Amino acid sequence: MAKDARDNWENPMQFVLACVSYAVGLGNVWRFPYLCQMHGGGGFLIPYLLMLVLEGVPLFYLELAIGQKMRLGSIGAWTAISPYLGGLGLASVVTSLYLCLYYNIINAWSFWYLFHSFQSVLPWAACPLNANRTGPSEECERATPTQYFFYRETLNISPSIEENGGIHTGQALCFLLAWVITYLFIVRGVKSTGKVVYFTATFPYVVLFIYLIRGFTLHGAINGIKYMFTPKMEELANPTTWINAATQIFFSLGLGFGSLIAFASYNQYHNNFERQAIIVSLINSGTSIFSSVVTFAIYGFKATVNYENCLERTRILLLNTFSLSEDSITIDNVFERIVELNTTHPEQFAELNGKLEDCNLESELSTAVEGTGLAFIVYSEAIKNMPLSQLWSVLYFIMLLMLGMGSMLGNITAIITPLRDFKVLSCISTEVFNGKKKCIVCFICLLLGLGFTTTSGNYWFTMFNDYGATFSLLFIVLIEVITVSYIYGIKRFERDIEDMLGHRPNWYWKIMWAGVSPLLLIGLFLFYIINYIQGGTPTYQAWNKDLGKSEQIEYPLFGQAFIGLLLASSVSCVPLTALYVFCQRRKHAQRHMQQHTVNTVAA
Amino acid sequence: MLERIFIFLFLPSVLAAQLCKPDAPEGFKVRLSIKTALQDEAYEWDGNERFLFQATLAFAMGRHTGQEFNVSNILVCDETPRVSFWFVVTSPDDPSQLINRGKVEAAVRMSRNRINSAFLLSDETLEFVGILPTLAAPVEPASPPWLIVFGVVMGLVGAGIVFLLVSTVLQKRRKKNQEGDEGDDDEEARVKTAENGCRSDGIYNTSFSEDEPNTQM
Repeated sequence: MAKDARDNWENPMQFVLACVSYAVGLGNVWRFPYLCQMHGGGGFLIPYLLMLVLEGVPLFYLELAIGQKMRLGSIGAWTAISPYLGGLGLASVVTSLYLCLYYNIINAWSFWYLFHSFQSVLPWAACPLNANRTGPSEECERATPTQYFFYRETLNISPSIEENGGIHTGQALCFLLAWVITYLFIVRGVKSTGKVVYFTATFPYVVLFIYLIRGFTLHGAINGIKYMFTPKMEELANPTTWINAATQIFFSLGLGFGSLIAFASYNQYHNNFERQAIIVSLINSGTSIFSSVVTFAIYGFKATVNYENCLERTRILLLNTFSLSEDSITIDNVFERIVELNTTHPEQFAELNGKLEDCNLESELSTAVEGTGLAFIVYSEAIKNMPLSQLWSVLYFIMLLMLGMGSMLGNITAIITPLRDFKVLSCISTEVFNGKKKCIVCFICLLLGLGFTTTSGNYWFTMFNDYGATFSLLFIVLIEVITVSYIYGIKRFERDIEDMLGHRPNWYWKIMWAGVSPLLLIGLFLFYIINYIQGGTPTYQAWNKDLGKSEQIEYPLFGQAFIGLLLASSVSCVPLTALYVFCQRRKHAQRHMQQHTVNTVAA
Repeated sequence: MLERIFIFLFLPSVLAAQLCKPDAPEGFKVRLSIKTALQDEAYEWDGNERFLFQATLAFAMGRHTGQEFNVSNILVCDETPRVSFWFVVTSPDDPSQLINRGKVEAAVRMSRNRINSAFLLSDETLEFVGILPTLAAPVEPASPPWLIVFGVVMGLVGAGIVFLLVSTVLQKRRKKNQEGDEGDDDEEARVKTAENGCRSDGIYNTSFSEDEPNTQM
């Protein structure tokens, strides 16, 4: 019998859901709201949507077209386009490998928080007691209970990346669970992935919707929403706004990892991916906006609660210092009374000076957080203040899990699909060997990823997160779009698409591929390089347990060397492979010529 | 005679004024937040409430030391609208002697619960400034609850994997049986080129394989 036919998605819906599940990930929830807040609220939507049209959708379309046409993973697809550019696929695989190593640790944290939600009192709601049970533990006092739970009990973080400790067993168990579930999802290839994505793609929306309704009914949520939607148009003049919009679209869609090529390679040849590309990109951006509305409602609630707590503390302080009756100061007239008391009892008031807090709603709202800080600290702080907090906590962390797992599926598929096409040699039945390959890949990633569960693991995680993928992806996608537009040729690409879809792509797509997107990408690329050079030594946020907050520290020498290694290892795949192929061809050509001469001599 | 009567009448209060004052060395400041704790059900602080306080303190002292204390041994002064005041405890044997601060603290600590409930307040709303409450021991279950949930989920996932493996093995066996029946019929006619490596079905007929590019010398 011939080679086993390539697996296919059972229906186009599975493919769309897989792409949605992959593209809609944690970045939509924890990066976009932050950018929105930093760059002028509602006004940020203008550069964001513009970049979606200029680079997001065209590049997404491009990757899907390549995958569906070549019906191979990233390495095979790019080798087919041009033998010298197989390195592009290899670079994608290396970048995906780095991502797989560290991404599942987030799922491990989600599991940890999820399991800890099944308690009568959420563990991050109150500080644990110190040794003599006279008060809360000192570290928790200086920070907040949610920060303490994250940094001390979840991560057991060390003061810097140089100091290492043992593996956190609870973390390691959750990490193992995350990998076992990932393996379970991909074990049957597209057949199992296709069924899983029905759930991982749709459930987060259910939770977001529930949270939207809950968020709007929370006390003070309207403050957050107002803060978000009042656009600050002057931010549009800042070039950083546009650059951040471009990079956010770029990374949010998951371009350059090879996952989209891998997913599309399992499509039917005549699948209408043009419509699907537009739909998925729009869904992705829509989800970002939707989740930022929810996030801002939660921000507003948290800020209002903190502000009111601050007012209450000030009120009690005033009551106690001036021994006034309890109903003489209410939360509403705290500020007026402060002024009053200052004039009537100046000396007593002067004693207060150090202890009087400055309660400001604006400053509470403007503490913008992104990344793991938003997802695990800010949100859990908001959740603990809601009634029935265990229910909300469980819902929220299951949503984080779905988002993370969905993205993991794409990442792992991006590694396994090219490996599978690369070597079809085996003496054992291909299906069993494929299963073994998946097992081996998952197992290796599990072992290497255990390093992220050590006490300094979070710092390594941050390093991978900041440097492992960002720069290499820009490089990869830039080479991709230049290859397709100029080396492969827009005309040939057009004909391929016509072959698959039945009609040629219209002028908009061609202008984007040949002109606008490459220029944008070159601009972003240059900006990143300049930033790296000008930025000086890279720094990271280290948790200081004595102060109870994070501070910026420079990476030590080995850290910087590792960053360089991360960047170089994926980027260098492209030129090295091209060189390798070039040498191979020359050797082949020489041998061929030698054989020819031998034959003529012998004959 | 009249002077003696006057002195006799005013001595306790004079003594009290001297013994009980703000920042008294053996005294404690007490602060009640009745309205915060009880809101609508809050009671007014008046002479009766003060009397109750003195009585409960006397009870606490008696409980701790074993001596019998009277309400008059608890001196209260410097009351403010906040509802805060200072108190000192005098010895039942000698009203001019104050009880040691440490003893008072220990007594209050011991009966803190009873004192709180007499006023329908809690540790936060009835403050003895300087006496830290002994916080309740955190309830620690025998096995951490998260481990239980983890175990459940891990078990389900493990069961899922076992199920998948078993079904794969069963499927393969079913396929092999099927192909075994078909293979018996056309074994001789089938020719296989070495495309798929070593497949064990059929006989490999070497006469149809490609010749070596260079014939052996």
